[in-house]
Amino acid sequence: VDRRIYRDGDRGEAITVDVDDKPHRVFVGEPLAVGLYASGVEVLGRSIKYHRPRSFFCLRGHCGGCLMRVNGLPNVRACQIACVEGMTAESQNAFPSGEYDLLGAVDWFFPRGMDHHRLMAGSKLLHGAMQKVVRKLSGLGKLPDPGGTPAPMIPAGAAEVVDVVVIGAGPAGLAAAVATAQAGLTTLVVDEQLEPGGSWLSWPGGAAAATAQIDALMAAGGTIWSQSSALSWFPEDDGGVLAVATPDRLVRITAQRYIYATGAYDVNLAFEDNDRPGVMSARALGLLALRDGVIPGPRVAIVGLGEYTTALAGALGERGVEVLTVDAERVRRARGGKSVDALDYVDAAGKVVSFNCDAVAVAGLPAPASEAARTHGARVVLDPAEGGFAVIVDGDGHTSAPQVVACGDVTGYQGPHAAAEEGAHVGATAAAEIVAERTTP
Amino acid sequence: MSKIMLCRCEDVTLADLAHAVEEGYRDLEEIKRYTGFGTGPCQGKECLATVALALAQVTKDDPANIAPFTTRPPLTPTPIKLFAGDLSGDDSAGDDE
Repeated sequence: VDRRIYRDGDRGEAITVDVDDKPHRVFVGEPLAVGLYASGVEVLGRSIKYHRPRSFFCLRGHCGGCLMRVNGLPNVRACQIACVEGMTAESQNAFPSGEYDLLGAVDWFFPRGMDHHRLMAGSKLLHGAMQKVVRKLSGLGKLPDPGGTPAPMIPAGAAEVVDVVVIGAGPAGLAAAVATAQAGLTTLVVDEQLEPGGSWLSWPGGAAAATAQIDALMAAGGTIWSQSSALSWFPEDDGGVLAVATPDRLVRITAQRYIYATGAYDVNLAFEDNDRPGVMSARALGLLALRDGVIPGPRVAIVGLGEYTTALAGALGERGVEVLTVDAERVRRARGGKSVDALDYVDAAGKVVSFNCDAVAVAGLPAPASEAARTHGARVVLDPAEGGFAVIVDGDGHTSAPQVVACGDVTGYQGPHAAAEEGAHVGATAAAEIVAERTTP
Repeated sequence: MSKIMLCRCEDVTLADLAHAVEEGYRDLEEIKRYTGFGTGPCQGKECLATVALALAQVTKDDPANIAPFTTRPPLTPTPIKLFAGDLSGDDSAGDDE
């Protein structure tokens, strides 16, 4: 199997990565989860309770679907690590392998689910035996082999003082950062992904928009840290610090304004077997097709209608993919074992029909990624129209907490074009306020 | 067997949520403790909003009255060695690379 498009020319250096001791062809720099999927690996691991096959859902480090043991380290997000020569990976929670896991039988023993509160509670003897088994099976991943990896380096922490820190290098965050940097303020953008751009990268034409914003930010003297995650606001530490984990150290950041542009998480929709490998978020499919040049196969179903579904279906159509778009209300179940092979839905005549396909993309309303802003005191409210717990802001991005500003999808899903506009306005307002605070004693 | 999964990290299904509601649980924090949803590696990134909105539908509560469960750092999986180093901000201390 090779799902890559080669018409754009050279994809770089082809290497092999071993998964459970079987070699797979990937390209240097491809995210591991993407490289393996492109070469036909459907199952990356098994789920913890029922040992159902697992693979990526979001491709942005959020869903926990792509955890693997990589180079002997457990629970590595395979979508957030680039393929390099000599890399090895193992599927987790599986015996003997993710592809053929004997414990998959658990799923069949408990067709209506397992109530772990009353597990074998009827018999004391059976209960004791079952607890022993459960202890053996529980826990996520396997610890590194003793002596198998070099002794860990302990990197020193660092401190960083800036005028403005922006959390998230998507459309809103980049726009806000451009505005504050152009106003002459020291501006640092921290972004957890392998490369900046956020939700732009899953939109047709989005990569160019991201590049333009990044170029403008660099020209204005701004800084972007990739693969750097905001871990939390710690109010008790020196009047408050934002802790950020970069690939090699912990950094404590203090600023005049904290602009949360953390976007929104991809969510799944409720239909039967919505967790089959090959059922992925629509934006993950967008990343595969547009960023990575990887196509699941000749037929794809997109569940959920809207602006993004239309854009994605168009982009897939241009790449020769037959696309079914179907309203979420009509969807009944995904079919397939280790990977999805069909989608059952109710057609216009009210009959349940099956659409054979290579992937099911779920385009639900993304849920605001508001945890980081919440740790910083920003109020959130659950609103179905906003996709989840959205940060409450006024027209200028002010939250309920001082110095804490938010813009883009974290305030309620709006899509990259509107988010970029909002980010530019919020950034300009924050910059003007900081400048005013400096001139008024 | 076919299941409707709400939380793929901990294998919590829509039926599990309905069962928790039947048992009398209404608060996201107690439903988290009862079903285990949101306690896996993603810490609710994929499932919190889904479960909250499903709960609002099942209970007919006003969504605005449903509070999220408490967020605890770190918000993303982080190698623990990053917390073990000298945090004084002095680059030379403890840097053994």
